[in-house]
Amino acid sequence: MSWVLGLSGLYHDSAAVLLHDGRVVAAASEERFSRVKHDAGLPVQATRWCLAHAGITMADVTHVTWYEKPLRKFERMLVSQVANFPRSASAFRRGTFNWLTEKLWVKAAIVKELGVAPARVLFSDHHQSHAASAFYASPYAEAAVLTVDGVGEWATTSLYRGGPGGLELLGEVLFPDSIGLVYSAFTAYLGFQVNDGEYKVMGMAAYGEPRFVDEVRKVLRPREDGAFDVDLSYVSYHWSADQSYTRRLEELLGPARFPGSGFDPTTAEGKRYADIAASVQRVTEDALVAIANVLHARTGLDTLCLAGGVALNSVANRALLTRGPFARLFVQPAAGDAGGAMGAALWTWHEVMGNPRTLDTPVLPGPGLGQAWDDATIGALLTDLRVKHEVLAPDTVAVRAAADIVEGRVLGWVQGRFEWGPRALGHRSILADPRRADMKDRINARIKYRELFRPFAPSVCAGAEGRYFDVPPGGEQLAEWMLLVAPVTTDDFPATTHADGTARLHVVHAAANPLYHALLTEVGRLTGHPVVLNTSFNLKGEPIVSSPVQALATFFRSGLDVLYLGAHRVEQTGSYDG
Amino acid sequence: MTISAANLPIWLASWLVWKIVPGRAAAKMAEFSHTEAGSGLDMLAAVEETTRPELRARYFRHALDELRHARLFRERAQAWSGARGRTQAVLEDSGFIASHGIRTTESLFRQLGEREFLAFVWVHEKRGAEQFDIYASLLGHDAATAAMFAEIAKDERFHIAYSRAELDRLAKAGDEAGVRGAVFKVRARRAWQLWVRLSLDFGNFMAGIWLTILYVVLLGPFSVVARAERPVGGVVPPAPRPAPADRAREMI
Ligand SMILES: [Fe+2]
Ligand SMILES: [Fe+2]
Ligand SMILES: [Fe+2]
Repeated sequence: MSWVLGLSGLYHDSAAVLLHDGRVVAAASEERFSRVKHDAGLPVQATRWCLAHAGITMADVTHVTWYEKPLRKFERMLVSQVANFPRSASAFRRGTFNWLTEKLWVKAAIVKELGVAPARVLFSDHHQSHAASAFYASPYAEAAVLTVDGVGEWATTSLYRGGPGGLELLGEVLFPDSIGLVYSAFTAYLGFQVNDGEYKVMGMAAYGEPRFVDEVRKVLRPREDGAFDVDLSYVSYHWSADQSYTRRLEELLGPARFPGSGFDPTTAEGKRYADIAASVQRVTEDALVAIANVLHARTGLDTLCLAGGVALNSVANRALLTRGPFARLFVQPAAGDAGGAMGAALWTWHEVMGNPRTLDTPVLPGPGLGQAWDDATIGALLTDLRVKHEVLAPDTVAVRAAADIVEGRVLGWVQGRFEWGPRALGHRSILADPRRADMKDRINARIKYRELFRPFAPSVCAGAEGRYFDVPPGGEQLAEWMLLVAPVTTDDFPATTHADGTARLHVVHAAANPLYHALLTEVGRLTGHPVVLNTSFNLKGEPIVSSPVQALATFFRSGLDVLYLGAHRVEQTGSYDG
Repeated sequence: MTISAANLPIWLASWLVWKIVPGRAAAKMAEFSHTEAGSGLDMLAAVEETTRPELRARYFRHALDELRHARLFRERAQAWSGARGRTQAVLEDSGFIASHGIRTTESLFRQLGEREFLAFVWVHEKRGAEQFDIYASLLGHDAATAAMFAEIAKDERFHIAYSRAELDRLAKAGDEAGVRGAVFKVRARRAWQLWVRLSLDFGNFMAGIWLTILYVVLLGPFSVVARAERPVGGVVPPAPRPAPADRAREMI
């Protein structure tokens, strides 16, 4: 009986992950508890819940591992500010203040806020945590491992070989050469928020042609050896805290898109932005494929485990599969920095504590690794709040929900434990009929209020995906966790097919999520197609809901028609009047 | 609302904020939006944590109100900022501030307990309503804004009334001293926190000056030496590292 806790935070998304004898029993992002999107504090509430879920106290935990080396990161910051004197003045003032007042004291904070004995606190490093999250969570005994993100301590891209002896670091690309930071700089240029709007660039790309590839390659330059470097005159992330691209980039590509302004791909201006997005996406994919070739040549292995924020780019993942050298690809659902917590814990278990891998039981039982609420609790809540509701027999929930969907209602769907990672996978989802062409606009106008370049995903019963989607071989695992786009081969689902004829696919297995699978099966029985529109259950700018109270608060502020909370069914009209 | 000796300072301050500094109004609306959203979350946490069914329903109603106010203020901010984009920046900044740093993560309800939480709600709602009154009269010339403030004021009256009624009920049930103590504590803490914030702001300001001096005298000379070389680039071989068990305790 051994417990290991991994933590990430103080930079991007903070999270806590608890391992029991090397297997993940609880994993959650702090934002699901604090309700602060991308919460980058210390994962105090997530940690507290992990322990409560397992019925243990901190005294039972052998090691608590932070996902990176704070001092090395501080060193990188100082070095790049020295190199960029005097224009780094404001970044220095802000950054150093933050570091001196809190980030350097992360160990003290872990000890004090979480009650951990100082001798039990360990530190992984950033890309090693990413790599461990990909490799040790995978079902493969041997694999090439690639981690690509903005930046960790110094590394921005790392190449590993994973095998029985653990993870062997083969080489790395260092700051300021960074695929992730360049992608983020273009995210800002295209008018979106850095560390949040990257997937919007990906969505926008579908409306454009990559006719600025040459220009973008001046920024992210391919190298002879298969790696890349960055022309630092176009970007400012290495010396500025609030601006990530320079005037020179605007000279190269024209004026940047104004944040929050509309996007209309039929205008010349809108088309230009879409074309730039498509070019950025293409150059990113090329860079990934090139570095994957290097890794393939170095390892000779045909399985790739991928992690880091860039691994959440489901379009690039497809390019890696179809144009890259590897036969199959594995990415765990929280590939970004939240996943660093999981990697830190797995690294500790296998490499610090020296435990061998056993591949017979999966390390990651499924994506539902967060908190759940039982029907008794939900029922008491609804009664206390005087919300009219219907209690369904558990075995009729899927059938009833399927009927609602087919009749054109938009559902809030809260079932079981909430998901690990940024995607809703049928535990905290908004569901609707993907055959209805007006559904996309309806959901956008009444619920999500989001821009048209953000497509909704289709969930499909495992086994039926081949009827509608062109899933590349080796992408099965990605499709299970909605990390892959696939060309759509039918006209039946206008609400979930993106402008370029693709969809971000979610394949549902009965074993992973029996209730949701039953719902899809029933929809299939009624319509002939076991496919449902699935998007995350949240309002714009808010984290995905986790608890029933949050679900209700979101439901009554939205245009959703029906809410399923476990076996409880609540209608929007007439169920609540304060 | 009329100007009196008691509210003169806040009148003056508000007038400055809204009227003199251009572009401040939209940014202020964005700030309000964040504050309201924050109280909405506090109230939702209270829904989860209270054991009293009737209060639970009140807290939930209250939470929905605050979240709606947050949306109204955000929409106002966006309408006012127009093409200047300043509000977007403020919204993002306050989002950034909200999402970063080591914070107290205990919910307000858990920190205070039911009685003091109610006192907190009452004191803060009352104060907030007074402030909004002032803003409403300053901005009354704009019909949409006046309507928004009127709608919000109606909700705030409910928040004040139910929290007061519950405090009165507790007092009548024999806990008069406890209720008075709780209200006193909340007010004292409010004053104390204002002071702490002022001194923190001052501290940050001084730290900024010191760091700038440090930057110039320390990093300046260094930069002359260090500027020249940039790392070779490409895939570099890893530096030799100690075994995992040996390096796991190091922060560097
Ligand atoms: Fe990362
Ligand atoms: Fe309010
Ligand atoms: Fe209020």
